[in-house]
Amino acid sequence: MPTTMEEYAKQPREARMQRLTRTADELAAAIEGQSDAVLSRRPDAKNWAAKEVVCHLRDTEESFGARFEQILAMETDPRLGGPNADRLAEERQYLRNDAAQALAAFRTRRQETLALFGALTPAQWDKGGLHPVRGRITLDGFLALMAWHDDNHLAQLARALEGRP
Amino acid sequence: MPFSYYARLTRSQQAVYRRSDEIAEVRLAQPTALHPAVTALTAALATEDRVQVQRASERLIRGLTEALGVAPVQVEVLAARPHAKWGELHGLYTVERGKPPRIQLWMRTAKQRRVVAFRTYLRTLLHEVGHHLDYALLRLRDSYHTEGFYKRESSLFHQLVAERRAPWPSVDAWFRRTPDERLARLASTPGQVARALEGHGERALARRPAPGSWAPVEVVCHLRDAEAMFGERFAAILTMDEPVLPEVGPAHRWAEERQYLRHDATAALAHFRRRRGESLETLVAASPSDWQRGGEHPVRGRLTIDMIVALMAWHDDNHLQQLTRALEGRP
Repeated sequence: MPTTMEEYAKQPREARMQRLTRTADELAAAIEGQSDAVLSRRPDAKNWAAKEVVCHLRDTEESFGARFEQILAMETDPRLGGPNADRLAEERQYLRNDAAQALAAFRTRRQETLALFGALTPAQWDKGGLHPVRGRITLDGFLALMAWHDDNHLAQLARALEGRP
Repeated sequence: MPFSYYARLTRSQQAVYRRSDEIAEVRLAQPTALHPAVTALTAALATEDRVQVQRASERLIRGLTEALGVAPVQVEVLAARPHAKWGELHGLYTVERGKPPRIQLWMRTAKQRRVVAFRTYLRTLLHEVGHHLDYALLRLRDSYHTEGFYKRESSLFHQLVAERRAPWPSVDAWFRRTPDERLARLASTPGQVARALEGHGERALARRPAPGSWAPVEVVCHLRDAEAMFGERFAAILTMDEPVLPEVGPAHRWAEERQYLRHDATAALAHFRRRRGESLETLVAASPSDWQRGGEHPVRGRLTIDMIVALMAWHDDNHLQQLTRALEGRP
């Protein structure tokens, strides 16, 4: 499994798409049979509980979609907003969410993302936006970022279920 | 009863007149589809900027001709109306051989040079569109001012402007208020929400007054998440040159996806208050010219910060009313 963003970017596009396609099912398998108490347990004061990871993936998927819409609609590279995952976790009260419902919403959003990627022309894959931390990212780069992001959070979710940060 | 000039028309002209008089309305299949274009026109007039009014007028007229399946018409918005002894000219429809038909509209009064009120402007616009429809839709050989003609104009007007029964000020009323009045409205909202929620238990706050109608806690969560979205729009407009503002939500999807019914209303209010504070900070720090910066919204058209602030004031009014009703168990 690749570990850095650069390694993901070198993977064939099809492999990255496959990674994105599997994620909802892998999340479902991971949380299956887990009680709400376990899903809501933070491994330590700083680290997310399993259900917070699922909610994060759900909300990130939506914000990726909005960014892509903006990138595709604009002639110049838009300036994209910075990350604010911890704030959203607090604000949107992830800990009070039902994990299975959050996963269902993620699954729908992910299907929308895959449909969007599936319809891109070669020129559109090269369109991009300016990320405050990572600089210019093309849509192809975002596909790598999302593949990395999925693996990263799947691993975090597995650890959280075992009570490890 | 035909107008007095009817007597001076030839027989064949009178036949056209009678045909025009018989038709009392032009029905749009989906008038609500044009409402965003009407809202955008209200907003554009509030900016008093000719180019924006031109764009918004074109958009609405194109929407009308497309909805009715008739040929397009050119639109030209001009500044002050010409003043003549016989009165002011509001709009003009001209057809010249070999050229596309054209509508001209004046957005300022001749004497005071004030921007025409929204309803007056829309009436004029629909009046000129009415002449175009006489030829392009009703296939009349001439376009007379008959009683039927005025009724058709009114029928379009009422389909486009759903009369507001609500007692709170409408978006366009907020557009006419000063920035300070709008900011004061925005600043008072978190306190009003807090007072409304006081003394209600978690169960009452999570009770929907009717299926499909939000519970109080859902209204508060909506205000919180909408505020984050407004903040993102301000940031996009202030850091980019005329960005595209992505359409997000819709609100009911957020309510379901983010599971508003499970949220704690007090915490949601605290986060709304914080986000609102950040919005106000941005707005106060922005210069008057910043307030005129804008971006393109796929549904609402061009939105300036000025317009967004009016929309927010209206949005607050609207949801405070909804919150009050929900707390009383009314949808």
